[in-house]
Amino acid sequence: MLDKKLGIIDLSKKKVTIKQTHNSLKKLFLGGRGLNSYYLYKMIKPNTDPLSPNNVLIFGTGFLTGTLVPNSSRFNVSAKSPETGILGDSNCGGYFAAELRYTGFDRLIIQGKSKKPCYLYITDNNIEIKDANDYWGMNTTDVQQNLRKDLGHVETACCGVAGENLVRFACVRTGVKNAAGRCGLGAVMGSKNLKAIAARGTQGIKVVHPEEMLETVEQLKEYIMNSKITSILGTVGTPLLYEVSNTLGAIRTKNSQLNAWSDSLNAEVIETFVDKMIGCSSCIVHCRHRNKLGGEGPEYTALGLLGANLGIKDPAHVIELSNICNELGLDISSSGTILGWAFELYEKGIIDKKITGEELHFGDFELVKSLLYKISRREDFGNILAESTRNVKRFGKASEDYLIAVKGLPQSDPHDVRYIKAFALGIATSSRGADHLRSRPTLEIFLNLPQEVRDRIYGKGVPGDPTSYKGKEKTVYFSDNIFATIDSLGICKFICHGFNSPHFVDYTWMKKLIHCASDWTFKEKDIQEVGKRIIDIERMFNNREGISRKDDTLPKRYFDDPMPLKIAKGHHIDRKEFDNLLSRYYKLRGWDNDGQVKKERVKEMEALT
Amino acid sequence: MKYLYVYPEKCTGCRECSIACSLTKFGECNPKKAAINIVRDEFNRYEFPIVCFQCDDPVCLKFCHQNAYEIKDGVIIRDEDRCIGCRLCAVLCPYNAVTTIDDEIIKCDLCGGDPMCVKYCSTEAIQYLDETEELEKRRKKMAERFLEINKGL
Repeated sequence: MLDKKLGIIDLSKKKVTIKQTHNSLKKLFLGGRGLNSYYLYKMIKPNTDPLSPNNVLIFGTGFLTGTLVPNSSRFNVSAKSPETGILGDSNCGGYFAAELRYTGFDRLIIQGKSKKPCYLYITDNNIEIKDANDYWGMNTTDVQQNLRKDLGHVETACCGVAGENLVRFACVRTGVKNAAGRCGLGAVMGSKNLKAIAARGTQGIKVVHPEEMLETVEQLKEYIMNSKITSILGTVGTPLLYEVSNTLGAIRTKNSQLNAWSDSLNAEVIETFVDKMIGCSSCIVHCRHRNKLGGEGPEYTALGLLGANLGIKDPAHVIELSNICNELGLDISSSGTILGWAFELYEKGIIDKKITGEELHFGDFELVKSLLYKISRREDFGNILAESTRNVKRFGKASEDYLIAVKGLPQSDPHDVRYIKAFALGIATSSRGADHLRSRPTLEIFLNLPQEVRDRIYGKGVPGDPTSYKGKEKTVYFSDNIFATIDSLGICKFICHGFNSPHFVDYTWMKKLIHCASDWTFKEKDIQEVGKRIIDIERMFNNREGISRKDDTLPKRYFDDPMPLKIAKGHHIDRKEFDNLLSRYYKLRGWDNDGQVKKERVKEMEALT
Repeated sequence: MKYLYVYPEKCTGCRECSIACSLTKFGECNPKKAAINIVRDEFNRYEFPIVCFQCDDPVCLKFCHQNAYEIKDGVIIRDEDRCIGCRLCAVLCPYNAVTTIDDEIIKCDLCGGDPMCVKYCSTEAIQYLDETEELEKRRKKMAERFLEINKGL
């Protein structure tokens, strides 16, 4: 359990060093995202160019990844983001992370740049840097299948053609559709000439109390399986959220000019394209659709951002676009947001054919398809779109008013956050930019949640009304902390307390699971400190890169344009109320009024070893 | 007599069965050190649980020159004291149902009537049921299907 090693690979020097992360650090940050963020802060100098050899790329598995603990399949890929220039971090499921642990490693830190295309081959206690000439240029499925043909049944994390071509929103892929999607980490792989990491191991994870783990997991499994949300997620997956958002009038449509879209993308329609629902390693929810069009998915994000946001109604078209993004290794969230932005700018005349080289409009499947290929190869207008939100400079100041992004990261959640105020605060303050998987207090959608349950989770003073700003800093604070912790344990958010359900894995369950694996005795409040520590060190990284209060904001449209349709009609974010909410959030975090981690805390954190 | 019956169409590939098996038998989480294995390939789109069929005429027993195998109440049991670890049983089993790893030979013993794999499966892709004629037909069909998949591996 605690014997897993840290592999440090310098691709410039072709040197592999094998070390171990001290238990003292594991107690402070657990693993996964937490330890990755710790190492990023320690190892990356401020103002480093994310696509230079000086960037550090980390693949880190969670503390419990690969064990019997339900849904413990996850790892985090982290580096400085080429899309945003701040902390880049992305969490991913599948089978790669468990396999990496079975080789005897729990984390790989990759530095430098290989002269020629290479891949890493990880076997029991061994890391080899190998020539990837034969695999360069392959899409993500081909490279993984070819590595299996050549090496046997390896599990692989790789970049696609988009990553090779340094598209700033290229993702890291494993399996058919699992992705460390956000922040352009596939481009960091490309910049290092690193095509893939293939792992195959036979070493188990020895837990300290096997019987206790068997018993605890049996109870936890029963508890989770008895929830209605588990069986719904296991039947239709995340597409169920599309209808939830759409009914409210909160589906980002045509670059958020509208807020509702077609019922043709509802879960019941998507279900007809499903061959079989499958799971990641140790998963008991199995929300992954193996679709009839040759791939996996679509997720809610794809339905929203490659469907509604681009004006596309046909579910088969959306699924095909989702499959294409996965093959090319493009982040679906950024792809759909950047394309929607460009389409509106063209319609408004802010950009024209001189830049685009062709006509742009919403609702054109063939156009989107051809642009996705062009982006991945950096051809024609695709070469410009590949620069993501940095195009504000090229497209002109006026273009910024229509960009649905925060801190340079296009918004991932297809949910238009003008109605639910806590969601707005969440994407404004998340450590990687506009993203819902850092702190989305999803329970805000559950209008019938009893007040006593709300009080128990978030503390008193949080009204059930999602349009109220009152006390909403508490919902984001709670979610940000617990999601950071679950990411560090390597457990999927789908069974995290407060994500999809007011039940599931809370600090008490975490305490039990950590104990049976490692014999460490944590109190609930010790584990809560882990989450706070992670959020602080990520903020320290971002503060060092110049992030402050001015950056914790929202797209202009969310403030100034009221939503036009359905229940959410008329709602927008009030600047003054938002500003007050942000101040209250900082106070709760213990940050100063400019959103900086206070000096004493920085000192305390930097002294941690 | 109760046996294990597999339902590949329900299997999600998660391997909780294998990990529960290895944790019970060896105190570690290791899907490759288990009596039940999931043969899976997300690119070729299949998940298939492989577990000992407790054959009527088992080759593991028939060819073991140490006579380490015996049939007890319909379950084929390996006697660890007699076994010398030659792995012939693993090589000969047409269903790859005898696992060898780290000098260990692992063969399903149905956990003495309370199979862990069944307990930890969340989709009933593996079930422990009283033998019926229909189920036996299914078991044969599964065995044939596995042999087909195995050819392609």
